[in-house]
Amino acid sequence: MVREGRGNTATEVVAPGAALAGPPGRLAPVRRRPPRWRHGLIGLLLASPPFLLMLLLIVVPTVQAALYSVGQVPADNVVFKADVDLVSSASPTFIVYERLLASTFIQADLLLTLLVTVASVALVLIVSYLLALYVRFGQGRLPAIVRMLYLVPMFIPVVIASYALIEFYVTNGFLQIILERLGIHGYQSPIYSPTGIVLGQLWVNIPFAVLLIGSGLDGVAPELIEAAQDVGASFVSLLWRIVTPLVTVPLLIVGTFTFIGVLGSYTIPYLLGPNAPQMLGVAMTAYNGAYQRPQPAVAMAVMTFILAAFAGAVYVWGTSRTERSAV
Amino acid sequence: MSYTWFLRVGAMRQALALVLVGALSCFLLLPLFTLLLWAFANQWQYPAVLPQQFGFHWWQWVFQNNDLGNAIKLSFEFAPVVTLASAVVCLPAAYAFSRFRFPLRRPLFVSMLAVNAFPKIGLYISIAALYYRLNLIDTFLGVVLIQMINTLVFMTWIPTAAFNAVPGELEEAARDVGARSLMVFWKVTLPLAMPGIVVAAILAFLASLDEAQGTLVVGTPTHITMPVIMYVLVANYPQPVGAVFSILLSLPSLILLLAARRYLMAGYLAAGFRVR
Repeated sequence: MVREGRGNTATEVVAPGAALAGPPGRLAPVRRRPPRWRHGLIGLLLASPPFLLMLLLIVVPTVQAALYSVGQVPADNVVFKADVDLVSSASPTFIVYERLLASTFIQADLLLTLLVTVASVALVLIVSYLLALYVRFGQGRLPAIVRMLYLVPMFIPVVIASYALIEFYVTNGFLQIILERLGIHGYQSPIYSPTGIVLGQLWVNIPFAVLLIGSGLDGVAPELIEAAQDVGASFVSLLWRIVTPLVTVPLLIVGTFTFIGVLGSYTIPYLLGPNAPQMLGVAMTAYNGAYQRPQPAVAMAVMTFILAAFAGAVYVWGTSRTERSAV
Repeated sequence: MSYTWFLRVGAMRQALALVLVGALSCFLLLPLFTLLLWAFANQWQYPAVLPQQFGFHWWQWVFQNNDLGNAIKLSFEFAPVVTLASAVVCLPAAYAFSRFRFPLRRPLFVSMLAVNAFPKIGLYISIAALYYRLNLIDTFLGVVLIQMINTLVFMTWIPTAAFNAVPGELEEAARDVGARSLMVFWKVTLPLAMPGIVVAAILAFLASLDEAQGTLVVGTPTHITMPVIMYVLVANYPQPVGAVFSILLSLPSLILLLAARRYLMAGYLAAGFRVR
């Protein structure tokens, strides 16, 4: 819609390959334009700076991290060579990983990371899906309030959200004060425990998740729901057999992004989580900074990349399956 | 299905919805309300429901503290620089994605998302390792670059959508009356795409202002911004200090995002699906 009506026939062509197919039969207004190959070159040049920056800040560091973690130590990096327990080898070796995985501390960290990540993804998906359904199909004033409410965490930086959650849930904090007043005693604070991390992840991830699932639900016609209700479908079968298949892709996107987001988080597990075991993000930051051990730190980073790649693979598998069944 | 009788009574259903929405608002808002109370509490001791004494004592304290003042100053130095640098890098690309047909156009456009495919803290640790080699660790440039990572996607995608939305007829009309290409760009295309560019700039400004993890990893010990100093405040200072600082740090986000709210919702999500 946007592109229609632009009189320029050269830019009307959508697929890059089609640009070679020659000018359409219509007469274009006479105008001096650069030849098509120059047009393409200028476009490529203009489009490349952000891509080059990504190459420098994403591809180069991750490749270097992977190499360093398998013992390939560049000679010109003083800090790399300063690692107390440096593993340096001409051919790739997995000693750094073997040592990490043999440590009971790291085993506990890894287990906590996986548990918290999976629990957060599940909770974010369930809560956001229900919220998105309510916001999409609910009528009246209450859903309108929720429509504004769920966006609130988007306006709050993560550090501040963590601090607010601490002050609210901490032992002798505001929540406990309220509960005591209501006569409910024996409050156990989730702060500084794995539950605290999951709670924080849920809080910060709700807006994005609801927005995305909601945009998927926009394509689901209310008539479809009504028709199903008319033939007596229960809420569960309605959700499971009619709505969910239509929003599988947004759900997969939210699941994947939340998984990667939680895996790569530092602030929430550092501030809301226990001192030990820690999530990998906290552990690798400590190894990199306080412990002066860049090599295991980088190896832990690569571990999170591999886990994220698994999530990405699930996502690709899921979307391709949905697309095939849709054909 | 006897247990669903409850849900079939309209009044009951409404009551249930009310309770659930109430629980949601408590979950989302009460932590923030707690911070607000702490920020204006001169004294608040358990188990009082409200602070024993309200006042501005800690606000004065924060404004007189040198470290905190420097962090505020530094944050507001980084944010405009990052926004500008991101605009310089991304806006020409956005224009190219919208108006030029070139090889690899679609893959390049989608590849911007690669930023989100990596667990952030792992990426930052890897970047820190590279920075040691390039002597960028704890430098202004190093922090600017790491903060730019999180701005690339929307600084490219939103303006691309904005350029796409400029009607071709207007540019044609300008050319027909004899305006040259550059003139058309400055007088027609750019002004019409401006709202989208401004939204992207606001988001970049806030992304820089709120960025904590990357700056912490590559910017310490000299480049301590507002969010980075929050890590210290949370652990080592009385609650009201962190609370006051939280409000100071949230205010720019709140003001700017509320101002741009309408464009934001429409633009960000739609942007990615427009370019084929």
